[in-house]
Amino acid sequence: MTSLDPRSASASKPEHAGLRDARETDKLAVYIAELWRRRSWTWYVASSEMRSRQINSLLGNIWHVLSPLLQIGVFFVIFGLVLEVDRGVDNFIGYLAVGIFVYQFTQKTVVAGSKSLVKYERLMQIVSFPRALIPLTTTLTETLATIPAYGVMFVMVTASGEQPKLSWLLVLPLLGLQAIFTAGLALVMARAVHHVYDVSQILPFLFRLGFYASGVLFNVNAFLEGKSWRVLFEINPLYCFIELNRAVVLDGGTIDWSLLFNAVVWTVVVAVGGLLWFRAAEDSYGDR
Amino acid sequence: MTGESPQLQTSMTTMTSMTSTTPTAVLIEDVHVRYRVLEQQQLGLADIVKRGMRSRRSIEVHAVRGVSLEILTGESVGLLGPNGSGKSTLLRCIAGVQTLASGRVLVSGKPQLLAVNAALDPKLSGRRNIFLGGLAMGLTKAEIENRIGEVVDFAELVDAIDRPMRTYSSGMKARLTFSIATMSEPPILLIDEALAVGDKRFRRKSLERINQIRERASTVVMVTHNLNEIKSTCSRAVWLADGQIVMDGPTDDVVKAYEASED
Repeated sequence: MTSLDPRSASASKPEHAGLRDARETDKLAVYIAELWRRRSWTWYVASSEMRSRQINSLLGNIWHVLSPLLQIGVFFVIFGLVLEVDRGVDNFIGYLAVGIFVYQFTQKTVVAGSKSLVKYERLMQIVSFPRALIPLTTTLTETLATIPAYGVMFVMVTASGEQPKLSWLLVLPLLGLQAIFTAGLALVMARAVHHVYDVSQILPFLFRLGFYASGVLFNVNAFLEGKSWRVLFEINPLYCFIELNRAVVLDGGTIDWSLLFNAVVWTVVVAVGGLLWFRAAEDSYGDR
Repeated sequence: MTGESPQLQTSMTTMTSMTSTTPTAVLIEDVHVRYRVLEQQQLGLADIVKRGMRSRRSIEVHAVRGVSLEILTGESVGLLGPNGSGKSTLLRCIAGVQTLASGRVLVSGKPQLLAVNAALDPKLSGRRNIFLGGLAMGLTKAEIENRIGEVVDFAELVDAIDRPMRTYSSGMKARLTFSIATMSEPPILLIDEALAVGDKRFRRKSLERINQIRERASTVVMVTHNLNEIKSTCSRAVWLADGQIVMDGPTDDVVKAYEASED
């Protein structure tokens, strides 16, 4: 980073007036404005990626449906039928389906976002742009990919006995909120992996732990009634998102406002904090 | 842009649309570039535990050592020198993608490196890649739509443009990349050894286009080993060695001296 103030660019001679620093690390407002200005590039990359995923493998598309089906089936048999962990849940298959799809949205997106800077290293050496664009584009791509996945989720839920309801529409704004939260987390992990590569190996393991700690497989209320450490679940943002989606899809939309509050607070903190923390190391990305 | 603060106005957005009216296009002031080359490029946990965040298994390369240079609007400058002399690094400093250890680089407009292939996706069609490349360079979709016919014609890819780029020959890929990169009419065009592509006829076309860009009062800075290219395109040459300027002057003089030194 240059040691001189870029605003003194036109210092020495009159014919040098109007020159700008080539390595302008802009003020936050300008950084964000440039991110916004570049949105059509982000959108184009994300939609092109969706297009090529759809075209490329028919078998891949079938797998996108089959894989969650198998997962949910196995969990249902082991945790539902064998271990009878479905205490307090009417429709265990629907319950599992919502939990798994909502959790895996964040999981897949953050893992992809964490590796995004590595993937686009060459691009950063050639073109100047706010580097946050890279994890944000990955987040948008994976969010677009999640929409058909949610379609599969709704099919499963209907097949498990639920009637389609108007409250299902609320899943969209919840997905939007979760996407913003996930984008912040992706920015954090992108920088972390850039500094210490091994984080990318640890991350899937952490998500696996989180899977069990987010109430995907069991009803927290039924098992931890009255226990003080129940609150640990309620402050887990992924637990909040999962329960909110379940309320909307399975319970006709009776939202727990404290969970929504937690989710919103987490989203704002992680999105804003993540962007600022990511940007603090802006100069180090893409350099040799 | 009514109602916006002065700070927001002096951003890269206005730079992209600015036509260069200042006499100086690029001002390089005592620039130093240093980077560390790690034995293993990425730090694993084991390395950090053993050695802390700065792994000692690394060499510091002082790639650019106090270079100062002024390039006027409309000039075309060739950077020549042996491998490792810092030419490409200096070009990246002008492009704004390289961190400086000290000094600064000032520019009158947004520079553009010719190599946009890093922004392209071979799985997609040539047409989609034209949009990818254009958007990467900061053009709007509308601007790209206006120019797409010309880009395809120049690259001579009318028949192949809707096929995936990975089915193209290397010559076709190079032609498309060059055509995309010059689509944006950058006020400062930076070329890093990218011209020696395609057959003789296309090379001639490329040089013609670069000359057209020069005639529109754009500035061109080019790194190349090909002394003929420098002689035919550049009015001025800068000879770099070991990160410093050895000689800076009219192309013929510098090339002659450089050739003499190589014997």
